[in-house]
Amino acid sequence: MNLGTRKILDRSFTAVGITSILLMAAALLVVVVPIFSGGIGAIFFKGTIEHRKIQYNEFEKGSRKVIDRQIAEVTPYRQEVYRILDAFEADMETMEPAEKRDYLSKYKKVRDIVAHLLGPIPGDPEPILLRYQYGTTRWEKAEESLHDLMFVTKWDYSNPEEMAKQYFVPRADEFAGTALAALFPYMEKNLDKMLLPEQTFYWGFLTERSLDAHIFGGIWAEIQGTFFLAVGAMLFAFPLGVIAAIYFTEYARENFFTSVLRSANSTLAGVPSIVFGLFGLAFFINTIKVSDSKSVLAGSLTLAIMILPTIIRAAEEAILSVPRAYKEASMGLGSTKWRTILTVILPAALPGIITGGIISLGRAAGETAPIIFTAAVSVGATIGVADVFTQPTPALSWNIYNLASEHEAANEIRHVQYGMVLSLISIVLLLNLSAILLRAHVSKKLKG
Amino acid sequence: MAEATATGGKKSEAFVLSPEKLRRQRITKFIGEGVLLAVASFVAIVVLFIFYFVAVDAIPFFQQRGFVEFFTSTGWYPADEPGEFGALAIIYGSGMVTMGSALIAVPLGISAAICLSDVLPFSVRQYAKPVIEMLAAIPSVAYGFFALVIFAPLLQNYGGPILMWAWWLIAGPFVFLAVIVVGDLLTSKGGDGSKRKIVRIVLTGALAFLATLFLYWVGQTLFAIQILSGTNALNVSLILSFMALPTIVSVSEDSLQAVGRELREGSYALGATRAETIVKTVLPAASSGILAAVILGIMRALGETMVVWMASGNSSHIPEPWFNYLDSIRTLTATIAGDMGEADQVTGSERYHVLFAMGLLLLVFSFISNLVSERIVLRQRKILSGE
Repeated sequence: MNLGTRKILDRSFTAVGITSILLMAAALLVVVVPIFSGGIGAIFFKGTIEHRKIQYNEFEKGSRKVIDRQIAEVTPYRQEVYRILDAFEADMETMEPAEKRDYLSKYKKVRDIVAHLLGPIPGDPEPILLRYQYGTTRWEKAEESLHDLMFVTKWDYSNPEEMAKQYFVPRADEFAGTALAALFPYMEKNLDKMLLPEQTFYWGFLTERSLDAHIFGGIWAEIQGTFFLAVGAMLFAFPLGVIAAIYFTEYARENFFTSVLRSANSTLAGVPSIVFGLFGLAFFINTIKVSDSKSVLAGSLTLAIMILPTIIRAAEEAILSVPRAYKEASMGLGSTKWRTILTVILPAALPGIITGGIISLGRAAGETAPIIFTAAVSVGATIGVADVFTQPTPALSWNIYNLASEHEAANEIRHVQYGMVLSLISIVLLLNLSAILLRAHVSKKLKG
Repeated sequence: MAEATATGGKKSEAFVLSPEKLRRQRITKFIGEGVLLAVASFVAIVVLFIFYFVAVDAIPFFQQRGFVEFFTSTGWYPADEPGEFGALAIIYGSGMVTMGSALIAVPLGISAAICLSDVLPFSVRQYAKPVIEMLAAIPSVAYGFFALVIFAPLLQNYGGPILMWAWWLIAGPFVFLAVIVVGDLLTSKGGDGSKRKIVRIVLTGALAFLATLFLYWVGQTLFAIQILSGTNALNVSLILSFMALPTIVSVSEDSLQAVGRELREGSYALGATRAETIVKTVLPAASSGILAAVILGIMRALGETMVVWMASGNSSHIPEPWFNYLDSIRTLTATIAGDMGEADQVTGSERYHVLFAMGLLLLVFSFISNLVSERIVLRQRKILSGE
């Protein structure tokens, strides 16, 4: 082959390698950046007066005076809307039955959107579900609803070759010439005066309980559940893993039995996470009955088994990386093997062992499949420490799935889902970051 | 002075152990090692327990329904009375997304591993490693959320353009590289200097023209594709490949590092370029370790639950035609996760046991591939150490 071609091939080979690394970095960014920007929206957003009402009524946050003043501010604008609605209802009474029927369903849609924006319309019975007791709490959602109010969404099926196209027709056209026609320009012009959007820093998203299946409120129950499950798993797995690692590095002889144990360890590391869930269900709950049904304890035990191989491997590596000289010096001073391990090897290996522990903690916090059948519930209150032996808990990982895939209003509460994903990723990545930094520190120190 | 010696003598007596003390020490040591051994065997016991308890709940299914229906039928109606439990389409779906993710992750992962071990200087490598670790650390449910909420709508709305751009960016460079190589190979024999050069330029130009036409034609075909649902096998394969990448990269990098310097230096000394050294010398030597990495990466994709559950569309059928990655599929893991919620209330029914049968299938598969990859790595280590 020509020398020039060989050079080109060599260069492009390098380019392919570097591109693949860059692609991985890009993949990381592509996944993390939208989640980050979306998740921030759960905490920083333009909150309406309805948000402040909920905060005051349910969590006693904010001041009565301010809220009263703002309610007084918005009331005249809202009254005007209700007046227009009343006027149209009165008009409808005088219409022909056919015409009235025609308007009725269209009018109901308008009324529903107004109620969704501003809260229950005066004169209606008090709704039972919390989600109908308040209007829209977030300004960007209010703008979406306003768009729904202003325009009817229609689909164009005229071209059977292509997918149907969406187009909008002004809703005011449907009510042209009636009393209701005045509502649309009025709402468009005065919506901000009816809702008073303010830039809100909603720290309570992380520390408050959820209200009405996450339609309002925060995610504290999930954060706490994740914490219980991950820490519980560590309580079981960490001591076991470190002891097993000591055995493998200091005591095990190279024989068939040891190689079987090592194989078992890598087998356990390769078991699909959902199979851990099946095992947890069949063993911890159905066979030895650590609890009557799902519980934090059963979930923690299942997670502990899952992270055990990782902890053992990390601890083994940490122990093996302690320089031989340390051990020989200790032995040379006459201390026993066990004393050498306890006083010399373990302290030197400890940062490395902890690094492995932190990474496993992150893994336990993020894993979903093992806790589906053993510990997680979709809606639940926060539980106390004493309840962990008997009660299931909501957890970030499970609730992200649940809210995104199974919640009845999954599209309405995207901000909550993003907030949860961001919280989970932040927890896991921070744990990993601290592990990476700790490791860098340790390897520098061991090198001297 | 005499006193000091006397006390010293007394002290040294304390270091001499009496037979009784020695025996006690030996017993403590024995018990201590026993406890350590017991804890270390705990992992093996857990593995046995997992096999036992999954199998115990899986066997009743095979006793009642036999093997034939499960492995050969595509009818999956577990809720009907009587139910149908044909898992062929589901097994096929699992295989399909696993293959898809391997097709993306294996070339990417191996070239990244080569880059990390042989190309990049150490200072840059230190920054590349955390990226891979972060990619591995992101929880699967977050990937699932990304696939479902962000990527699926994109794929649905801009599927054609996305496919076309991906085609140009990925295939383009390789096709033009192939053109240059083929042009060189065809003209490398016969003829004298200047004439051969002209022939080569003309030939390469003609080939490049044909290649551009080919790229354009495929690109336009892809551009015209309309993706009906963003939750499909392509989406899942791509996301799963992100998740399999860290495993593939780190295990193959270890294996590349294990190939000694002498081999590389020997190759350089014979005048090979870096690419030639890696492709012709290092990769063959590390091939078994890389194979192990690929097996582990594939297992990671096969065993993944949340992404496929959220973003595969969960429809139990074999796509038409069989390689249609734009169709929805359903996998073993997603079926277990999705159906257990309903089957749990009917513990002991066929619906419950069939899920354990699927779990057993996954378990056996992961066990075998783990053993295989372990053997491969051990063998490579032995060969490289020259035993």
